[in-house]
Amino acid sequence: MTLAASDLRKSYGQTRAVDGVSVVLRPGMVHAIVGENGAGKSTTLRMLAGAEPPDSGVMTLDEASYAPPSVVGAAALGVSLVYQEITINRSLTVAENIFIDRLRQFAGPLGFIDRRRMEAAARAILERIGAQIPVSADTGRLNLGELKCIEIARALSTNPKILLLDESTAYLDHREVQAVLRVISELKGQGMTVAFVSHHLDEVLAVADELTILKDGQYVGTYRTTEIEPNEIHRRMVGRELARSIYPPRPPGDPSKPVVFEACEVAVGRELGGVSLNVRAGEILGLAGLKGAGAEALFAAICGDLPLRGGSMTLAGSLYAPSSPTSAWGQGVAYLPGDRHNEGLIADFSILDNLVMARPPHHGPFFDRAAATAIAGDLIVQIGIKTQSVDSSCRSLSGGNLQKVVIGKCLAVQPRLLLLNNPTRGVDIGARTEIYRIVRQKAAQGLAVILSSEDMPELIGMSDRLLVLRQGQITHRIETAADATEHDIIGHMA
Amino acid sequence: METNVTSIATKTPNATGEPGVNASRFEVVKRGFPLAMLVLLIVTFSIASPRFLTFSNFLIVLQQGTVLLVAALGMTFVIMAGSIDLSVGSIVALAALATALTADSLGAAAIIPAIAVGAAAGLVNGVLLAKGKVPSFIATMGAMVVYRGIVLLFTRGAPVSIEDEQFLNVYTNRTLGIPHSVIIGLVLMVVAYGIINRTVFGREVRAIGGGERVAILTGIQVARVKIYMYVLLGALCGIAGLLQGARAMAATAQLGEGLELDVIAAVVVGGTPLTGGVGSVVGTMLGVLIITLLSNGMNMAGVDPYLQNIVKGTVLVCAVFVTIDRRKIGIIK
Repeated sequence: MTLAASDLRKSYGQTRAVDGVSVVLRPGMVHAIVGENGAGKSTTLRMLAGAEPPDSGVMTLDEASYAPPSVVGAAALGVSLVYQEITINRSLTVAENIFIDRLRQFAGPLGFIDRRRMEAAARAILERIGAQIPVSADTGRLNLGELKCIEIARALSTNPKILLLDESTAYLDHREVQAVLRVISELKGQGMTVAFVSHHLDEVLAVADELTILKDGQYVGTYRTTEIEPNEIHRRMVGRELARSIYPPRPPGDPSKPVVFEACEVAVGRELGGVSLNVRAGEILGLAGLKGAGAEALFAAICGDLPLRGGSMTLAGSLYAPSSPTSAWGQGVAYLPGDRHNEGLIADFSILDNLVMARPPHHGPFFDRAAATAIAGDLIVQIGIKTQSVDSSCRSLSGGNLQKVVIGKCLAVQPRLLLLNNPTRGVDIGARTEIYRIVRQKAAQGLAVILSSEDMPELIGMSDRLLVLRQGQITHRIETAADATEHDIIGHMA
Repeated sequence: METNVTSIATKTPNATGEPGVNASRFEVVKRGFPLAMLVLLIVTFSIASPRFLTFSNFLIVLQQGTVLLVAALGMTFVIMAGSIDLSVGSIVALAALATALTADSLGAAAIIPAIAVGAAAGLVNGVLLAKGKVPSFIATMGAMVVYRGIVLLFTRGAPVSIEDEQFLNVYTNRTLGIPHSVIIGLVLMVVAYGIINRTVFGREVRAIGGGERVAILTGIQVARVKIYMYVLLGALCGIAGLLQGARAMAATAQLGEGLELDVIAAVVVGGTPLTGGVGSVVGTMLGVLIITLLSNGMNMAGVDPYLQNIVKGTVLVCAVFVTIDRRKIGIIK
């Protein structure tokens, strides 16, 4: 089966997620869709899979018009999607997870599920993709790569001709990535058409026959993997000029500046086991590491959300032991969480409500609306939040603008230490540039920043110094982040 | 770079992807629904009963509604924060008992024990939720039974009468034809409006309902705010208990039974969703009027008392059906 799409477009509010993308998936080929964060890869894939209708554009399946109403509709036509998020229910068995939406087909005459028949069917699929996962395994104990394989098995259980694989949002470690890649090559050997989304070039070159490059929602080109050099792919994905200009210039480091925050042998929960670091005024300290390597736990401890298991912290020279986030914010520590929607801001509230949430201006018990309006108006100008009014609901804002609101909320308390957890996740390139500018500008005014990010170019581009975390320990210290390479960092991460 | 707030004249995008006109028209329907319902009830009952639309009945409705209003004002905070309190009816009974036991010696000052008992009961609920992390539905369901049990234990089922002249004069007399209880209710309404709309506390309650995790990570003292809010509800229930006791001139073991359902219904019919983050004192007042008028009007119009519960329940569900914001609550359980 050949699935072809031409000139697909899709906007969310003002954001043009996909702007004229064409792609052809040929039978038996592995097709990679590559690009940076926000390039429109996932949206393209989701449109092909029927998860989102395109605003415009034409899709055909073997020359026939193809406009699936939903993922279920697409699956019926032989196009199956593996979602970006892990959707495994950890209280069900492997087999139940694979057939979760079709358990009925294993019902016996009395309506009970014929477990043996279901497990045999699940086993057959897992064997087909060469995954060594017992069907009766406790899903709670499997690693992310194995869960991803179960997701793939679930997509295959509808017998698709074309499999669409969205990149995992959770960081798979190298072993887990290898397992997924093995599955893809296995399927390719069986004549399956596979399209997958990735921004890791190594993965792409290892299995793909063809690749389509997207940049900022636009189509750059389609190439055979044998005909294009990795450097060339990278250049077209990023655009070299852009890569240079997106990060503001770094002022030279100044070791005479005072240390704002210092952690000494800090241990938190099971995740972080004894980490020492410091950050000076005006400095941006980058933290690299896989999910669960300890950066989140460190942030949780600094912002008062989790207690220390060991070690101590100092803030501006005196002992710092926040008992709650309230105490952390009170001492000038602002935290930008990684999950914008559930932790960063309240989308149903107005921009003003969110901006002054941490430290509402007040006279006695009464909220000072005039002062709040002034503060909010000032932040909107400073950060470049695009809105008509401070009273607009945050629901009306794009992802990038929302994140600027969260940054504004942090800056509103005039912090001395700012913790940024993946500040540009799902943020378009324009808003990114402005976020980088404002963070660097505040640093130049003496703010100390700790930045944790899954985005390597961002870490390298924004940090002054870099620490690499692995399994709760610092495995590598890079004194001049400008000289670091992605390869070097990843080597110490996994 | 465009930076000036006023100069940014770009259209606000509609993030939900719904056509803007329809969405806003629907919003108007939702917002105006409680008022429209109230008007509809008044018109219907005016036609059904000639005695309905009279000043004396109007005063009766206000008096009947005051106890409900005072408790519902407190409940508005709790529901706005995404919590619930099922024990309000029992707190009202407990406070009425405290009033009855002290009115003879304290006179009008019996309001102090009433408020104190109510606030203490609310404090227990708040601590159970905020510190004990017991879900408010369960914590206050247990409290409902326990508080009622305390009243039964004390009274052994017999009413405690209130005879103190001064007490009854202060809380049941009229000034310029308006019952004092109604004046108290209106003053408390203004106070509650001020707290919700003008204080930092009101904003914090709203933030907890809008996104508790966000509120915690932004440094709001969520546990403390929750406790204060339950104490506030308890104190208001204390006043409601005093007013109810004064009206009945006695505290009984059955006083306030089932009140929690009317209180929650009034808040919800008034447009404050159980999901939290939003709350309106004016809406609650409308909800109280709707619930009270519904009972009063059905009685006036001679509706079969056995049918009345069916109507009340239906009205509640219809109101939520129309006003609930389904976009905000991804999954409705």
